[in-house]
Amino acid sequence: MVKDNFLDTNIIFNYSNYIQNVSKDIIKKCYLFIKNKEGKFILCGAVLEELSSIIVKRAKIHKAVIKKIENEKFSFNSLVSDRDIPFAKKLYEKLKNQEIKKTSNELAMERDLSEITIQKFLKTQIDESVISIEQIDNDIVNKIHEIILNHADCKILASALQFQEKKDIFLFVTVDGQDFNPNVYEYLKEHFGLNGPKVKFPELLNLLFSK
Amino acid sequence: MTIRKTHQQIKEEILFQLKESPLSIEQIRKKVESNWSTINDYLGELKKEGKVKEIISTDKAKIYQRTLGDTYFDIPITDEERKKFRTLFSLIIQEYKLRGMIPTKTHFAKCAVHIIKNDSSKLSDLPTVWYLYGLIPQMIADPSQDYQEEINFEHKIKIKNLIKEFIDQNGNKGSGQIQREQHKIYGEELYILSDEFFKVLNKKEWKNEEVLEILNKFFIACPVDNEFPEIFNLTEKVLSLIRKLSLLDIELQDYRREILLIFDNLWKFIALYKLYESRTTGKNALNKENLFKFYIGNVLEFRKKTLQESILELNSIYLNKLSKFDPSKINLSEEVQEIRRIMEDWTGED
Repeated sequence: MVKDNFLDTNIIFNYSNYIQNVSKDIIKKCYLFIKNKEGKFILCGAVLEELSSIIVKRAKIHKAVIKKIENEKFSFNSLVSDRDIPFAKKLYEKLKNQEIKKTSNELAMERDLSEITIQKFLKTQIDESVISIEQIDNDIVNKIHEIILNHADCKILASALQFQEKKDIFLFVTVDGQDFNPNVYEYLKEHFGLNGPKVKFPELLNLLFSK
Repeated sequence: MTIRKTHQQIKEEILFQLKESPLSIEQIRKKVESNWSTINDYLGELKKEGKVKEIISTDKAKIYQRTLGDTYFDIPITDEERKKFRTLFSLIIQEYKLRGMIPTKTHFAKCAVHIIKNDSSKLSDLPTVWYLYGLIPQMIADPSQDYQEEINFEHKIKIKNLIKEFIDQNGNKGSGQIQREQHKIYGEELYILSDEFFKVLNKKEWKNEEVLEILNKFFIACPVDNEFPEIFNLTEKVLSLIRKLSLLDIELQDYRREILLIFDNLWKFIALYKLYESRTTGKNALNKENLFKFYIGNVLEFRKKTLQESILELNSIYLNKLSKFDPSKINLSEEVQEIRRIMEDWTGED
């Protein structure tokens, strides 16, 4: 029987960045997973929230790159987190000799196209929107937080667990190689099974580790 | 022997204590050395007289603010600053009258800024703020008021010459022109771009590209402030909505009303932030927390909500168009593909 799919943010974001014959394998995998849809697509509020946050962060990286091109002394730190600086630097190196107007246009085009793809996907492909931000059970979030540091990931998995409770087992679909790699996921299941009643976990489908 | 204060004295003392910043009844009670219920009663009277207003009211505390109504958002200025402003305003009005003219509110305010910002006037301690239409004195310059010279300026002759100079150069210009020129003089990119945006949108006809070019510059000029992340976040939301509509092959001028409305609301939101920024940086900066909590926080929140409503309106148009649009139709240039390739490993995670 075909299982439904509870989507992690990265699946949707990677799908939005796909370029035919150019994108690397994992982005292509996300794209094909969505294109060859089997089962329902389920979306939670925490994924929507993280998508919005990623969209803003990307805009800040682009802004920092343009600012740096305008003024070489501009420091990326003032706009971009340490984790994102290498990407800002790479973009800057690539674009620094172009005129600002062209660069601004291209960066805006990149953001807009990705957003259009995401919004079209949300509007036409999502079968069920579940667990709004207000409905997330903080006790579950905190329990996941004992194992996983990333707060957004904790909220997304907590939403999946809450929704799974009354449903047939569905797939939790992700390409997160850290927090949701198969070993961590198994460990999380054990962690939840240690004390209290058994918690029903969705089946992990991590496209990074699947064929 | 204790001398009992008259009702009037207590009320005046309450007003005096509220001059610098808003206070709770308890704080006023201690400063005025009276009991809680007396202060509460007098505050009720002062409220009816329109001299104070309750700005925070909870079960635990009520906070009152003095309402003078002569500064933007009633943000406090000192008595000395008030006297200097009134004297300066009086000198400006006198010079206009000598020439048989009455200044518009814009001429009046911009002339005052011209004097304050000129070092030789020695009035640079008077607070000015960036707001909707550019740099203005923090005290409202109202040409219909009867201002008097309340102090003797040490550099009165110099100041009068500066006023003459301003009127000679600007007396015949329209308010809009003076504003736009001021934005350029001070190099305030965001204001210059806002002027350009409204200019294009008010033309009979315009092309998408004209607007998009300004919006791309606006994106670069928009402030990013970690204490007010919504300034950048909502700005980018508005700009990207307009850009995306254009990508969906829509003639933006067909949605002139909606675009004007959304940009106007965005501008009101940003301008209030600029006012906050002007008053919390530089010389005589005010306490950020107080300024936000007591004077502009509520208005900023209201403007944010208004902006969000107009975003929803334009977004519904966008989503409606999007449902009939195939994104794969858009050709990605080599350059955009290269940008995307560089960002391939970026996950956006914290």
